[in-house]
Amino acid sequence: MKRILAAGLVLLAVVALAAFAGRTQTASAKPTAGSLVGTGATFPFPLISKWIPAVDNALGIKITYSATGSGAGIAQITARTVDFGASDAPLSPDQLTACKGCVVIPWALAGMSIPYNLPSVNKRLVLNGPVLANIYLGNITSWNAAAIKALNPGVDLPDQKITVVYRSDGSGSTYAFTNYLSTVSPQWKSKVGVNTSVNFPAGTGARGSSGVAGVVKSTVGALTYVDAAYSITNKFQFALIKNRAGGNATPGVRGVQAALCELPAKVTNLSQLKIVDPSAKCGKKAYPISTFTYVIVPTASGDKAADLRKFVYWAVTAGQKFGPGLFFVPLPKAVNGFNYREIKKIQAGS
Amino acid sequence: MSELTIDPYDITVKSNGLRRRRIVEKVFGVLAISSAVLACGILVVVLGTLVVKGFSSLSLDFFTKARPLYGEQGGIADALIGSALIVGMAMLIAIPISVLVAIYMSEYAGPRVARALKIVLDVLNGVPAIVVGIFVFGILVVGHGQSAVYGAFALAILMLPMVARATQEILEIVPRSLRDASFALGVTKWRTTWSIVLPAAIGGILTGVVIAVARVAGETAPLLFTTSIAANQVSLDVHGALPTLPVLIFVNSESPDPGEQSAAWAAALVLIAFVLVMNILAKLFAGRKRRQLEGS
Amino acid sequence: MTSTTYENPAAPETDLRRRGIRIGDLLFKGIAIAAALAATILLGWIAFKVFDLAWPAIQDFGLSFIWTEAWDPVTQQFGALIFIYGTVVTSLIALVLATPLSIAIALFLTEIAPRRLAAPIATMVELLAAIPSVVLGLWGILVFGPWVTQHLDPWIQDTPLGLLPIFSGTPSAGGSIFTAGLVLTIMIIPITSAICRELFIRVPKDLTDGALALGSTRWEAIRGVMFAYAAPGIAAAVLLGLGRAFGEAIAVNQTIGNHNAIPSSWFEAGDSLGSKVASEYVGATSLAQASSILYLAAILMVISLATNVVAQFIVVRFERARRAV
Repeated sequence: MKRILAAGLVLLAVVALAAFAGRTQTASAKPTAGSLVGTGATFPFPLISKWIPAVDNALGIKITYSATGSGAGIAQITARTVDFGASDAPLSPDQLTACKGCVVIPWALAGMSIPYNLPSVNKRLVLNGPVLANIYLGNITSWNAAAIKALNPGVDLPDQKITVVYRSDGSGSTYAFTNYLSTVSPQWKSKVGVNTSVNFPAGTGARGSSGVAGVVKSTVGALTYVDAAYSITNKFQFALIKNRAGGNATPGVRGVQAALCELPAKVTNLSQLKIVDPSAKCGKKAYPISTFTYVIVPTASGDKAADLRKFVYWAVTAGQKFGPGLFFVPLPKAVNGFNYREIKKIQAGS
Repeated sequence: MSELTIDPYDITVKSNGLRRRRIVEKVFGVLAISSAVLACGILVVVLGTLVVKGFSSLSLDFFTKARPLYGEQGGIADALIGSALIVGMAMLIAIPISVLVAIYMSEYAGPRVARALKIVLDVLNGVPAIVVGIFVFGILVVGHGQSAVYGAFALAILMLPMVARATQEILEIVPRSLRDASFALGVTKWRTTWSIVLPAAIGGILTGVVIAVARVAGETAPLLFTTSIAANQVSLDVHGALPTLPVLIFVNSESPDPGEQSAAWAAALVLIAFVLVMNILAKLFAGRKRRQLEGS
Repeated sequence: MTSTTYENPAAPETDLRRRGIRIGDLLFKGIAIAAALAATILLGWIAFKVFDLAWPAIQDFGLSFIWTEAWDPVTQQFGALIFIYGTVVTSLIALVLATPLSIAIALFLTEIAPRRLAAPIATMVELLAAIPSVVLGLWGILVFGPWVTQHLDPWIQDTPLGLLPIFSGTPSAGGSIFTAGLVLTIMIIPITSAICRELFIRVPKDLTDGALALGSTRWEAIRGVMFAYAAPGIAAAVLLGLGRAFGEAIAVNQTIGNHNAIPSSWFEAGDSLGSKVASEYVGATSLAQASSILYLAAILMVISLATNVVAQFIVVRFERARRAV
């Protein structure tokens, strides 16, 4: 008995030694300089995953990123539990005040696809803004409803209940999607509104882009909103969205690029980055549900400031080349000036 | 003179009374057996699913590679090590304090104080794990960042009532005569407790520890708030956040990616195997020390 | 002059020792008291911190938060009713289903099963308790939930139970109140049945023997004697299981569907207190939302603790009554 006890104590001592062997700083609980911890949107996760080994190679900085949702990205950077936050939703004035001096920098851009699970339908379905709003409001409950039939003449739609799936966590995808629905549906705007977390009138919730994709994959008749990379990887059928020019647009690189046509030549503040529901001028290819995604960094970042500047600068320049393979569109030149100015604001100050 | 022909069989069995009662008895007997079969059945189904779905993912890679980034292959090595470190630290924090509390309750405190402490421990045991997670987040993580140590601290809070109560109960079983003999020989109280009473109680204490570890190894909620943002690589740096098995299972359980799902099943299998081994150990310790104590 | 006192090893050597005060003892007692104090302070601190973080919402919404049916981050209207409904209903489903099952299992193990069979089966039921909730949730999402939605729910709708409004409508894929309730049932059966088993073993044999001698059947003896004797203990066991069900956040989060509404049918998605806290706390983007979520956590804490305290109270009364017998 004593021997087992002794062995157990030795084991515990070894664990304790190993545990405290990693100690290099006494005060801070954050990892050492040369590494950055961030959290937030699931939307850019595929792209950030590609960035992590590349940044390690190019700059020697180890990035740790956990996809917990834009809401968490905003909340955690405000509470300073991480070095940077990521969100598809820009910060509201209240959130900016709460963040106590944060810069918000767009670092990626992609389309929000609308995947669905209807194995009996071979052709890509066409949907538009008002129909999507009605589906999410719970006004349209079946796939063979008249409104959907009208957009898809000649397609044999099944009498299948539409299972609406939405993000249950604080999500920038929800922000982008509800932004679009509010623009195209006055009923949505007054009844539900725009936010990272809204009171969806119908459907089931799931956590993360992964979660909503999971429900769609396993449920016939399900429909959700998720960034294009997740739809492609999971081989979902996703809808063509009818835009103001009358074209049926896809969330690919060209579709999102076409939606940028109304951007000013030089962006000076974030409110000019409205690319949702572009006007007919942008042509038939313009995809109406596109969104920028942002990194949020405190202007007073202590000893992490230099690494953060290097990382964000790399992300908005060299990092963009990883985008197209994952259906992320390279940032338009219009935001470059804005971005460089904001990056300079990241200092060590207190 | 007419004979009285009263047949007891007529009165009891045939007149529906006993027969009906016997049928009722059989029905409830069947219900009891079915319930036990149902419970065992559920266990078999859950464990069976785990084994079937998880076994195929177990491979050398699985145990040596860290969790993969988006679109890659990997394993659970970093989560495995993270869980081991965090549970180990939780034990280091919880065991000394729990044993001390139990010693106070059984050796020093008066009956009313001991009863009050018993209530405190039982109430602490009933605090939901998610509330403990929020508590540790609020007092430690805010402003400082996540850390495996904070996760261990949260798990230690969950372990404390279990280990303390188990220790206290076994200390009460240790015969008074042992302590009295020691005092009679002039040994101080603290020496008696440390060198004589505790070793006698060690079997029960270990049982309590092992049960608490088995329960706490699978807790997800406290870790979600304290150590969920971790790099996809094996790390021993407990000052930062470390990945853990329960959080991995939780996050992957909702994913559509078959690779992530099978990682979740396999991680669940590893976790269950650990918990089962701990439970068997607990039974072994309990049986052995009870025999020793009763023999003395 | 040399001293004439002898060196007596048993005699106190120092002044302190002579007065019966021993440093080692003092220190040890001091550490033990500190540990006990720490445990008590911890409990108080947890309660304090949760209410402290929830305070902005408590101030804003007051007690009416508890019966407000709303959760809208856009208009910043928050209320707990939706989630109290989810917590209470899923736990009640678990209670109603688990209690008879647990009592039946305990009876089987103590009265019916032959000795050699009882031990392994008791172990198997204990192992059910050892399954971590996240693992049960994983099984719930990927295996059990779909089975419930596709097979169990339609079967129930075919029986007379299907006429009830709570079992109406198309079962929701992706989680429902009923699925979460069933998962909770599986979680609390081992707890309740273990306590019932301990209770039934302790019923004095002469009481049941007396009943049998008077001509009752086995079941009548059990019902009349054992249950009557163990009733307070069974009540406590049930309450402890209920407390566990209230506090379970993870497995419920995985199987309840996460929908901000009180569904008209239990086959549809809803949400519970613990589950909502797990989903939204890290992502709350306004002070009102964050403190409202903490308000939910505070309500959960109060409900769990109250159930626990009542269970303890019953156990204490039970023990006192037993000792009086």
